[in-house]
Amino acid sequence: MADKPNDFIDQYQAFVREGVEAWARQFDPKAAPAEAPSPDIMGRLFTGLGGYGDWMRAFTTGEPPASPFAHGTPPFGQPGPAAAGPFGYGPPPGAQPGSEGFDDWAKLARETLSMPAFGLTREQQEEQQALLRAWIDYAEQYARYQSLLQGVQDRANETLRSQGMPADADSLRAVYDRWVNLSEDSYAAAAMSAEFREVYASLVNAQMRLKVLQQRQVERFALQAGLPTRREVDSLGERLQAVRRELRQMQGLAAEVEALKGEVASLKRGIAAKAAPTKSTAPAKKPAAKKAAVKKATGKKGAAR
Amino acid sequence: MSANPFHIDPERAREEVEAFRRKVEAGMETLKHIGPVEFGTTPREAVYTEDKLTLWHFKGSEKPTGKVPLLICYALVNTPWMVDLQEDRSMVRNLLAQGEDVYLIDWGYPDGADRWLTLEDYIDGYLDRCVDVIRRRHGLDAINLLGICQGGVFSLCYTALHGDKVKNLVTMVTPVDFHTPDNMLSHWARNVDIDLFVDTIGNVPADLMNFAYLTLKPLRLNQQKYVGLVDILDNPKEVENFLRMEKWIFDSPDQAGETFRQFTRDFFQKNLLIQGKATIGGKVIDLGTITQPVLNIYAEQDHLVPPAASIPLKDAVGSKDYTALPFSGGHIGIYVSGRAQKLVPPAIHEWLANRA
Repeated sequence: MADKPNDFIDQYQAFVREGVEAWARQFDPKAAPAEAPSPDIMGRLFTGLGGYGDWMRAFTTGEPPASPFAHGTPPFGQPGPAAAGPFGYGPPPGAQPGSEGFDDWAKLARETLSMPAFGLTREQQEEQQALLRAWIDYAEQYARYQSLLQGVQDRANETLRSQGMPADADSLRAVYDRWVNLSEDSYAAAAMSAEFREVYASLVNAQMRLKVLQQRQVERFALQAGLPTRREVDSLGERLQAVRRELRQMQGLAAEVEALKGEVASLKRGIAAKAAPTKSTAPAKKPAAKKAAVKKATGKKGAAR
Repeated sequence: MSANPFHIDPERAREEVEAFRRKVEAGMETLKHIGPVEFGTTPREAVYTEDKLTLWHFKGSEKPTGKVPLLICYALVNTPWMVDLQEDRSMVRNLLAQGEDVYLIDWGYPDGADRWLTLEDYIDGYLDRCVDVIRRRHGLDAINLLGICQGGVFSLCYTALHGDKVKNLVTMVTPVDFHTPDNMLSHWARNVDIDLFVDTIGNVPADLMNFAYLTLKPLRLNQQKYVGLVDILDNPKEVENFLRMEKWIFDSPDQAGETFRQFTRDFFQKNLLIQGKATIGGKVIDLGTITQPVLNIYAEQDHLVPPAASIPLKDAVGSKDYTALPFSGGHIGIYVSGRAQKLVPPAIHEWLANRA
């Protein structure tokens, strides 16, 4: 039993960790049961349960719960700046994004990066400089986003404290549910703000600016190695779709031409039928032929007058 | 424990955590013995395929009584099986039971070859050819069209372009005004450089899309939902339902890059549809040209397509026969909740039957 007041939380967290490990063992190729639910779902389950454990620990020690957003992945699930490094140069170990030394390093790096490139490898230098600038920008936007999310959580925690014990909250779970509701309300209010929209877009745009420069470097390496690049594949795909559209358009035109041909043939048949000798026509047509002959004769008479 | 302001009895908290842990432990046994879950259970036949698209025709136990077939056009962002999730939660099955003759477009899973597919390719191409296939099969000039979410937007655009091929139009949870103040997705997308985004990543991966959806309610969808799962872990049927829904949520297709670019730019960012300025393949989409009867069903607690985004359809279409059907539920509940099974398909059938 408990040696410390909250050791049951430690036990719970250990249980969740063991659960993750045990489940991972299930998917050992040698022992995997064929019909087990996907490891993806189990991963999400244990992550959720672990988060609940973290919240319980914070709650029972009176600490504000850590923001579940604080170390979250940035929008669109792209890797954060630490994982999406600038390929090559970057800050020293003590000045990684999020650390106190980062801002000083970034300021110094920006000054250095503004120096002109020269010599035989000028283009590669400029590429590397642009990449590092984009990475610094991304790290800064990431920090803005995280700070915004931390503010969301702080406001939710403060509201929970100021509102005190909800009337229906007689268990950890009830308080947790309450905390989730307040956090979501706080998040929704922030997420609909003009500031959030600006920070969110700045982060996504910074991610993409970095990624496009990384792609460019990879493409250069691929070209040097004689490998096909994504740009080439994209170009082929674009042409392929354009050709397919043209083909469909031509098929449509061909169908229209066929339809017109059919109409012309039908008209021709009609004309031919009218012009055909009257012998073979149905008896009903005879009076019409007579009428025409009369008209013809009348016309001639009229003309003679 | 004393530091927290809620004064929950420590011994009670210990018991609660222990009980929770035991439930998780016991629930692992349930999870181990649940086989793979599937959706799309109603018997069906593929009547047309093209590229990755399949046009399905569903088979009911009785011959359809409806004389005009109904084509369901789902969104690109998930698989269409939300409308046929399981036997007792199936809008398709219930529509068949009402006597409707039901077809469904399954857009498939785009890959690199589909990177350059445009909205024109989807709406004026794939969708139009599916409609033509059904018209030919039934010897009809026009069929009934039911568009869902983004598929509803496609259906509106299609009806505006090919009104002669659509007899009645049903839209479900379909946005027409993308700039309402409660539309979080649209709000976030507004300042994103969408050209840079698509030029950089090409097709938009499904995981990335799912991530964006999860961050609409991050704590509820990433954490609380799984804590809640523990409550039902002793009920294999409930767990199966949970896993089926979970599978559907995350088993979603990538998005063709060009289509994503156009849809985000013209609809989410510029809100062109409601202004009558959206274009598909150079042709202007004027919703005012839609004179067919329109049934617009929206969910009152929809966090993805808020009701305010759907309701303005009434004034946008030129139809004199417009019906709005609000449903008390969310974006997904409108297909799978018990109440939806009882209310929505009969309402659609009755509305169509009155306009047969």
